[in-house]
Amino acid sequence: MFRKESWRHFDFLLFGAVAFLSIFGVIMIRSAIAGNVNLEAQNLVQKQAQFVAAGLVIVIVLALINYRIWASFSRLLYIITVAFLAIILIIGKASFGAQRWLDIGLAVIQPAEVAKIALILILANYFAKSANSEHNAKWAAKSFLILITIVAWILLQPNLSTSIVLIVIWFSMLWIGGLAPKYIVILGVSAIVLFAVAFPFLETYQQERIMSFIISDPNATHGNEYNVNQALISIGSGGLLGQGYGNGTQVQLRFLQVRQTDYIFSAMANEFGFVGTVVVVALLAFVILRCLRIARHAEDPYGAMISYGFAILIFFQTIVNIGVNLHVIPVTGLTLPFISYGGSSLVSLLIGIGFIESVAVHQKTI
Amino acid sequence: MKTETARSSGFEFWRYRVIYVMLGLVFVFFVIKLFDMQIINGTSYKAQADENRLKEISVQTTRGTIFDRNGYVLAQNVPSYDVAITPAYLPADTGTLEKVYRDLSALIGVPVTNGVLTDSTAKAFTACQTDFGIKEIVIIGDTNAPYSPVNIKCNVTQEIALEVQSHANDWAGVSVVVESVRSYPTGSLTADIIGYVGPITAEAEAEYKALGFVPGRDKVGYAGVELTMDETLRGSNGTRVVEKDNAGKILKDVEAPVEPVAGNNIVLTIDSRLQAAAQAALTHEMDYWNARLGKIKSQNGVVIAENPKTGEILAMVSWPTYENNRMAQNIPAYYWNQLNMDPLHPLVNHAISAELPPGSVYKMAAAIGALNEGVVTPDQEINCPGSISVKQTYLVNDPGREQVYYSYDRAGHGTCNFIKGVSLSDDVYFYKIGGGFENEVPNGGLNAWRLKEYAQALGYGAISGLELPGEAQGLVPDPTWKRIDRAENWSVGDTYIATIGQGYVTSTPLQVLESFATIADDGKHMKPTIIKEITDSEGNVIKPFTPTLLWDITKDPVINVLDASGKPTGEKKTVEPWVIDYTKQALREVVVSGTAKLIFKDTDTELRSAGKTGTAEYCDDVAWAKNLCQPEAWPTHAWYTGYAPYDDPEIVVTAFVYNGGEGASVAAPIVQQVLEAYFSLKAIDSGAVDTTTGQ
Repeated sequence: MFRKESWRHFDFLLFGAVAFLSIFGVIMIRSAIAGNVNLEAQNLVQKQAQFVAAGLVIVIVLALINYRIWASFSRLLYIITVAFLAIILIIGKASFGAQRWLDIGLAVIQPAEVAKIALILILANYFAKSANSEHNAKWAAKSFLILITIVAWILLQPNLSTSIVLIVIWFSMLWIGGLAPKYIVILGVSAIVLFAVAFPFLETYQQERIMSFIISDPNATHGNEYNVNQALISIGSGGLLGQGYGNGTQVQLRFLQVRQTDYIFSAMANEFGFVGTVVVVALLAFVILRCLRIARHAEDPYGAMISYGFAILIFFQTIVNIGVNLHVIPVTGLTLPFISYGGSSLVSLLIGIGFIESVAVHQKTI
Repeated sequence: MKTETARSSGFEFWRYRVIYVMLGLVFVFFVIKLFDMQIINGTSYKAQADENRLKEISVQTTRGTIFDRNGYVLAQNVPSYDVAITPAYLPADTGTLEKVYRDLSALIGVPVTNGVLTDSTAKAFTACQTDFGIKEIVIIGDTNAPYSPVNIKCNVTQEIALEVQSHANDWAGVSVVVESVRSYPTGSLTADIIGYVGPITAEAEAEYKALGFVPGRDKVGYAGVELTMDETLRGSNGTRVVEKDNAGKILKDVEAPVEPVAGNNIVLTIDSRLQAAAQAALTHEMDYWNARLGKIKSQNGVVIAENPKTGEILAMVSWPTYENNRMAQNIPAYYWNQLNMDPLHPLVNHAISAELPPGSVYKMAAAIGALNEGVVTPDQEINCPGSISVKQTYLVNDPGREQVYYSYDRAGHGTCNFIKGVSLSDDVYFYKIGGGFENEVPNGGLNAWRLKEYAQALGYGAISGLELPGEAQGLVPDPTWKRIDRAENWSVGDTYIATIGQGYVTSTPLQVLESFATIADDGKHMKPTIIKEITDSEGNVIKPFTPTLLWDITKDPVINVLDASGKPTGEKKTVEPWVIDYTKQALREVVVSGTAKLIFKDTDTELRSAGKTGTAEYCDDVAWAKNLCQPEAWPTHAWYTGYAPYDDPEIVVTAFVYNGGEGASVAAPIVQQVLEAYFSLKAIDSGAVDTTTGQ
């Protein structure tokens, strides 16, 4: 496991880019919360810095562990995850209503983040094992069964944005796994038909809920319109070179809301301008490309699927978050990978990077 | 790369390619979108960002002070204390907050909580005029602008204000807002002159906004000097462009602030002591007669005093008046309605706005005209019976109808020369010189056209340009006017009664005063003014007093030479100085031996005044309604105008009492008292009297 030559394959560029983005996130958070007494009092910068440090250590530790051993835990992981999500939902509902996190004393674990990692690992195992079998409808349906048993709990929370992330991960893995184009058509049509047939049988309030689900996230607050506008102003007023770190008027005077999480992209665009923003966007694209590269170079389908799954996770979260900031898609609560404030999210992404580095490291030959 | 397909572990590369293409498209789209927003439309977004953070604040200027001629303050700014809460600064701890609310409530008497907050009641909220409790007001304030103080109670006493300020440390967020309001130390005494200020009206909003004034905060002149001299008094607001954060908290100035420029001060020509004396003389005289007659006869009147040589108005009383201090903070609707519905019109300055029959004081126009035109010689004796019967003709060949014109003294005065005619105010003498009588005065006397020329030369029929709003111009009638306005021809009798200031003739008390001021100053018609000086906020004189001579009737040809039909020939003439001298002699004789002899006899050695009485018959809608207009017994207004000393006049005073009765017995005493007051004050000012012991 600790073979000397494995470091030859450790992707230092990926690690460097991820480390850079995470540290940049800490710096950006520091600027974003300046002037907000409550947030400053919570030591967000320090907390995030600790998560970055811990996360980067996790990357190295996971890189050293041969990813293949996780395949043997796949069934156990599936059972634990489903049980965990179910318990969280039941306990959560009983005590506080909808609950999206569990305080385990040391840190807060978000079930959504657990679900993302678990789903990628479980589906990777499934698709790897079935790589050589026939890719028929039964094969696809089985993967859907795995998805639905996990995503159902998340939907019930209710947490639509994470549910969508999970569905996207499943579908993209199905896609790369070799789903025949005719199934894609069938899948698409049946989804629409199912929805159309079921919709009129629903109660009016349920229909309304679905409509509002489609139109916007139910967790979005009434201030969203204002927030989106301020985000656009923040981005646009950044100009070519930005208003400067710690000097963005939209950020520092707090016109931009949820600056440290959902709208950190706008805060960054405000202070670092077109040049700075494009550099960060390019780095994110670079990270995704490196992950896909490792997936393509992976020795076995399991490693390829893990790398590919996490690449899609990063890709999807990135485009949704930037899309929301640029107001080209409806408001959802997805954060910008590596940069947004949030220990759980950061650590789970770095766990993913750790798995990918493990895939890179544990290649027998080139 | 050779191993790629092998390493792809069975996954088809084209499926990766689809992902790469999507990735490429999305990120290229993002870069294009960013380029569009930040580079192409960056300026527009920057402007929106600036609109977010920049705020222009108007810094309120201070309105100028108004002084009387001796430096006594007539209008000033005083602080008004409002107790306010800045919601953002309130203590966070609920227990402490509740204690602050309770303690504050106990001090200022606003309940901690009162009323129901709904969208509509919150929208209708106006600070200072609300029944809400402290909590409700704070909620509204917190919603609107948490960093701006919202008034909880307005206009509290200085003691309460100090008490609130002493709690600055334990009552976080509670403060005293000091607002500047107008105060008029002399109040109703000078209300008709000073006026008052009020909020900017909706109609004038655009105009004032363009000048940098803030509707709802800044006040503008509504009446009196506050209105006419508004531009001088108001100054200009300063501006600050500041950066504010999302909560509205002001962080810093982003541009050098423009300091407000304080309004200029105005020194009036009014002597508030003489004003008080004039008001007292007027009201006491009316009270005296009302008490003596056992009924309310007169309730309103006017007294004006002026320096004839400079045109400075020393006192101007219009009674009844109003209390302008009640308009200081806001204009209370009930008081405003009360004033407007009062039949005596206290809001109107009758000294300049009332158009009244002047009666005998108007005779001076005919007197000067007749002498100057050679209609009569000063010594020419004319028969002055108690009445004359005149053929009332409207046309040249009109056979006419006999009409009797009476003198106030039915016994007549025998024969009159000029001085006797004026001093006894003999109506028949004036009928004859005005309209001619059976060739006793040849060529039809002075006639209506020439009478008008001389009346106008004395200032009748036109506004004077005094710096007060609402001046009326009165009426100097002529045959053309009557033909057009009344659709009737001018009759012989119209000339007779116009000569004695009755009939269609109306004038304001100020015009009556001006006509005598012109005579007193030997023909020099000065522009009446109440503005002595304008000083800047540091007290430096910006505009010193300079008397304005409008015309001198002995030097400036202001009188048209008319042809026989009354049309101007184009030639103009002046009044011969001897005519003025003779007129002044006659006016002196009024006091010495004429109609005003009794009133002035005790004080004449001291006052040495000249003057003219007037008892003007009237029949307006008020008198008509009271059924007072009985034939040959119409009600009368009392007039008197006097000046002193007669040989070198320094003050001219007009008194008018509506429905006062005889000018000699009602108006003349008022003038006499004002003249006395004037000379007493003059003596005090010159140090001739030791004021410390009252000797």
